[in-house]
Amino acid sequence: MVDHPASLRTPLARVRFLGSARSGTREARLIHLTSLALIPLTLGFVWLVLDLLHMDYNGVRETLERPLPAIVLLAFILAGILHMEIGMRSIVVDYIHGPARAWALLANTCFSALLGLACVYATLRIAFT
Amino acid sequence: MATTDAAAGKRRPRPLSPHLGIYKLTMTMAMSIAHRISGCALYIGVLLLAWFLISASTDAATFGVFSAFIESIIGRLVLFGFTWALFHHLVGGIRHFVWDAGYGMDPPMRDQLGWATLIGGLALTLIAWSIGYAVR
Repeated sequence: MVDHPASLRTPLARVRFLGSARSGTREARLIHLTSLALIPLTLGFVWLVLDLLHMDYNGVRETLERPLPAIVLLAFILAGILHMEIGMRSIVVDYIHGPARAWALLANTCFSALLGLACVYATLRIAFT
Repeated sequence: MATTDAAAGKRRPRPLSPHLGIYKLTMTMAMSIAHRISGCALYIGVLLLAWFLISASTDAATFGVFSAFIESIIGRLVLFGFTWALFHHLVGGIRHFVWDAGYGMDPPMRDQLGWATLIGGLALTLIAWSIGYAVR
């Protein structure tokens, strides 16, 4: 689309069919929601890590088999992964221009999704085996 | 003229607003940058959490490799950096909630919030590490 300065097209006509504005705040709402959730979850996570730090393999397994630590950890992972995916997306959009941007966004989503799945899988495996 | 350039497929790069290099460093700016850097550090740091969980879900020998790393000096430094980034980003996020609620945007207060973020993040890090060593 060429924006001719002397164009007679109205601003509305120029933005029409470029996508709905309805979901435009989805990202902002999600990063606010996850950051709010991460305030208590981070404190819970640090509490858990301080507990796990001095344990051997069996101690770690026994702790993560209990429901409360496992659920806090899973909630921390879920909120944290969503939060970091959106955060990195805004950094990519700010600093990477041109065709590299699409690849960077794709890499960000894949990295976050795989890392999140790996963490969730490992936590559930500890809890249930 | 602009249309002839576009028609020829030779679009000039769009002008960018002035960036980091030309501004005097202020507290709010430093904390804004620190928020991004700590966010990036945590982004990479989650790999450490994944390594911990995957090794703990595998077997004692695999967990031992992770354990040996985290007990080493380098491992301790990485974990300390991770803790600091985590707390700095946490306190910085709370500061953003304060601003979102409409408070603390006047000149003395926004700088004080910046200092509070820096000092609060460091203080929480040191408290967590003190507990970590004390409970041993």
